Amino acid sequence: MNKALRSPAVFLLFTLPALILFVMFFIYPIFSSLYYSFTSWNGVSTHVKWIGLDNYSKALEQKRFWVSVKNNGWFIVFSIFIQVPLIVLFSLLISHVKKLKGLYKTTVFLPSIMSTAVIGILWGFIYEPDIGLLNQILGTFGIKPVYWLSDERYAMLSILITNAWQWTGFYIVMVLAAILSIPGELEEAAAIDGASAFQRATQIVLPLIRPIISVVIMLSIAGAMKAADIVLVMTKGGPAGSTEVMATYMIKYAITNFKYGYGNTIAVLIFIFTVVVTVLYQLLVARRNERIEY
Amino acid sequence: MKKSMVLLLTLFIAAATLLSACGSSNGNNNGKNSAAPSNASNDSASAEPSESAVDTSPFELTLRHTQVGADKQKRLAILNDVVKKVEADVPGLTIKLDGVESDVNRKEKLRGEMAAGNPPDIFDLFGSPDSQVYAKEGMLLNLSPILEELGLTDSFSSLEPFTYEDNVYGLPIGGSGEGFFYNKAYFEEKGLKVPATWAELEDLLGKIKADGKVPMAAASKAGWVPLMLANHLWARYAGPDVTQKFVSGEAKWSDPNVVKAFAKYQEWEDKGYFKKGELGFEYAEYTTQFTSGEAVLMYDGTWKSSVFKEGQSGANMIGKVGFFNLPPVDGGVGDQTALMRDVNNGYGFSAAVEKDPRKLQAVKLFIKYMYNEEMQIRGLVEDGVLPSMKLSEDVLKESITDDLMKEIVNVLNASQSSFPAFDSLVQGDVTTEISNIQIQKLIGKQTTPEQMGKELQAVQEEANAESE
Amino acid sequence: MARTWKKGLPHLFLLLYLVVILFPFLFVIFSSVKTDNNAIALNPFGLPKKLAFDNYAEAWVKAKISTYFFNSLYISILSSVASILFGAMFAFAVTRMRHGRWGAALFGLILVGMLIPNNALMLPIYTLVRKLHILDTHLALIIPYVANAIPFTVIILAAFMRSLPSEIEEAAVMDGLRSGGIFARMIVPLTVPAMVTVFIVNFLGNWNEFLLANYFLSNDDLRTLPVGMVQFRDQYQMNYAQMSAGIVFSVVPVIVIYAVLQEKIIEGVTAGSVKG
Repeated sequence: MNKALRSPAVFLLFTLPALILFVMFFIYPIFSSLYYSFTSWNGVSTHVKWIGLDNYSKALEQKRFWVSVKNNGWFIVFSIFIQVPLIVLFSLLISHVKKLKGLYKTTVFLPSIMSTAVIGILWGFIYEPDIGLLNQILGTFGIKPVYWLSDERYAMLSILITNAWQWTGFYIVMVLAAILSIPGELEEAAAIDGASAFQRATQIVLPLIRPIISVVIMLSIAGAMKAADIVLVMTKGGPAGSTEVMATYMIKYAITNFKYGYGNTIAVLIFIFTVVVTVLYQLLVARRNERIEY
Repeated sequence: MKKSMVLLLTLFIAAATLLSACGSSNGNNNGKNSAAPSNASNDSASAEPSESAVDTSPFELTLRHTQVGADKQKRLAILNDVVKKVEADVPGLTIKLDGVESDVNRKEKLRGEMAAGNPPDIFDLFGSPDSQVYAKEGMLLNLSPILEELGLTDSFSSLEPFTYEDNVYGLPIGGSGEGFFYNKAYFEEKGLKVPATWAELEDLLGKIKADGKVPMAAASKAGWVPLMLANHLWARYAGPDVTQKFVSGEAKWSDPNVVKAFAKYQEWEDKGYFKKGELGFEYAEYTTQFTSGEAVLMYDGTWKSSVFKEGQSGANMIGKVGFFNLPPVDGGVGDQTALMRDVNNGYGFSAAVEKDPRKLQAVKLFIKYMYNEEMQIRGLVEDGVLPSMKLSEDVLKESITDDLMKEIVNVLNASQSSFPAFDSLVQGDVTTEISNIQIQKLIGKQTTPEQMGKELQAVQEEANAESE
Repeated sequence: MARTWKKGLPHLFLLLYLVVILFPFLFVIFSSVKTDNNAIALNPFGLPKKLAFDNYAEAWVKAKISTYFFNSLYISILSSVASILFGAMFAFAVTRMRHGRWGAALFGLILVGMLIPNNALMLPIYTLVRKLHILDTHLALIIPYVANAIPFTVIILAAFMRSLPSEIEEAAVMDGLRSGGIFARMIVPLTVPAMVTVFIVNFLGNWNEFLLANYFLSNDDLRTLPVGMVQFRDQYQMNYAQMSAGIVFSVVPVIVIYAVLQEKIIEGVTAGSVKG
């Protein structure tokens, strides 16, 4: 065999660039975060004071931190209970129709390739109370202006809707691909046996696409835990901190408030929560279905 | 797939690309034009005859300013003139301007850069508490020797906010005060007059509301905007010096008098005296509400007067804008004519400049050309910025021709004392709590004045304990 | 009758969905040719009688679209290409070189990277970038972007390379090629389809990235499109007509690219996320 392919030096040469970057930007930051999370460093000073678990107990006592945790939770709840049913419905519909399939697919996918920042701006305009699209439409039905982004009751919902608007089409296309890969004979056979379109959808297609739905949910959870830019662009966490998510809370503390140590504590907590939610989902839901390949 | 693409295209892309094509050909030209001045100045600098001994190799100085957006064009023009003068005097120098919105620069950019140890060479800086924090870490250039060299040591009315351990670390570009701008034309039309007492103010607000207008402009997405008025209210009810006392522990946010101020604010909210939906509006929209005539009053800083000049966004209101102080509160504590006045914003310089003699030279020239009578008067006349340097009465009287400016100066002179804005006094955590959470909760009716006082006091005590 | 109804109903739902997707864009286009907010308020749903194209010229200058656009373009392309290069080298080493245990261990390590929520690492990355003295240069984005994309790139490319028959190396050895040659002349050309997929996913990710771009760059001339647009919005929010023109500028290039490459993009992005 080729000696070169066994040479450790060459192996090292090929793996090193990626490895260095990986260690610098994944491994080192984790340990750095962990270290500073136990300090009260302000990010500027040359003195770093070790304060043990104080930051953690402070974070867990803060009402505002839990508000942000809850808002990350809303992202998850909204995507599982509102988006996923819609995703399944629309992908079934698209797979079902014969004409315009391509148009539907192309169009629903469109928002997901756009920058979240620009979509946040666009929807900020739609939600604008006086001249925004939504209130103008509601106005034609005689409904008084709703202050979407400035009313605590609606601000979070408004963000969730925008987020769903951006990403639903993306998942539809994924699920659609799975549906279209199901052998046609299966459905044809069922049709000959007299199964209605609805029965075929629920009894043949749905069980077969369960793994991909599971993937969609996993991706939604991952996305929910990362959410930050949509909030920053649309509300900056306001009004009165009601739309703050963990990541924006972290930024606010670490950068704008000279509390680098505390910010890192939040980073570690985001990390822990993400692992917990993922593992929980795996144990409670995904394991019961056949394990899937993501 | 082809068919669908055609469909999608015809739906809107065609229209959009067409539009963008039209726009871009125009835009390109403008882009070039706007880039031209900086190039020109560059050339003139390098064309300067240079002595052979002087190092004329090109070098760069970065300057962070906050003169961005439509309302700050005048200020940018003044800055540009100074920059050009400095560039002309220092061979090889190019000053790179970098504009960032003021609040973003103060709370995010500059803080991040300071933490990183690489602030721009010259930057927009707030005096208290920012400059002290940075000076303590040795990030700022000590200006005391330079002031001495230029003979400017006693030229400023106050350098206190920029002073740390007897040395000066920043220079205020101008002063500002805060009060109500009002729509004179509307006042005349409705036969209203400037309120001299609290009852008259309440009456005025009620009348405007009844007339179907918005009594006060409001844009509270950023908490500092509504806090200008709120700050004045608690200074009236609990005394102009109460904010310092929060920090020293002599007073509490939960004191009845402070809570009274919060309650008044909320009462005005309840009565619909502010523009609705305010929590969703940026500061830029504040002015628009006023200049469009929608809102009759606007509580803002004196810097806003520059908007009501030819070529600015409020040009339609020239001569129709007045300014008044918040009337005395019955039973209020302390001087009831006091208003917020400070010289807290200006320029600071990176400590790193000292290591490079050419940069230091440029900085000295920048100070020389920026801080002098001519520029102060220009700032006042063109831009409505109150002088931060001591100017003779005569020069002042001569140069103020603008009616609004006269009115502002009269209001400021009529007040017997002043207080600094709360955010230059309390700790960062308290500022964050009140501007990101509490004031917005009060506006959104998610809290009571009592609750707000209690929660603020809790944060204040924690911050006080930490700083000990 | 029942049949046409049955056939039409799905279309009805789907068209409704299309309207929800497209109408906001139309609204922005309509608004962008109106003179001011008032004109938008008076006639929100249609085109005005007189089209005001000045907004486009104004927005182009004020929002500096061209600067931001090219910054975004070059940062995104450069980062995507670099991560593919490093990722492919790594994938080649762990899948085709005979270092079984080491290969598997390193691959496993990189896999862990997929599970890390990278937003949470922003602060230490910020300090890291500043220690490297590249804060406020484009490298402050390019290097983290390259690093961020490595796990995903490696996973996709490794999966693809594993599926290549092992005869390739044998043939290569006959030809006297060394590792570098095998990689560059045999493996890379065969992996191009997977690389295109990875490129698209990485490119879009970088093109749209907001957080790092917002906090790691403060020089206006260096900003990327998403950050530039948000800044433009914050400064000129009161003028929605102009803002709409800005949105059109920033959205159109993406739509045009999508129009040309849509199948490849859809395939790439979805395949990428499923495998990832």
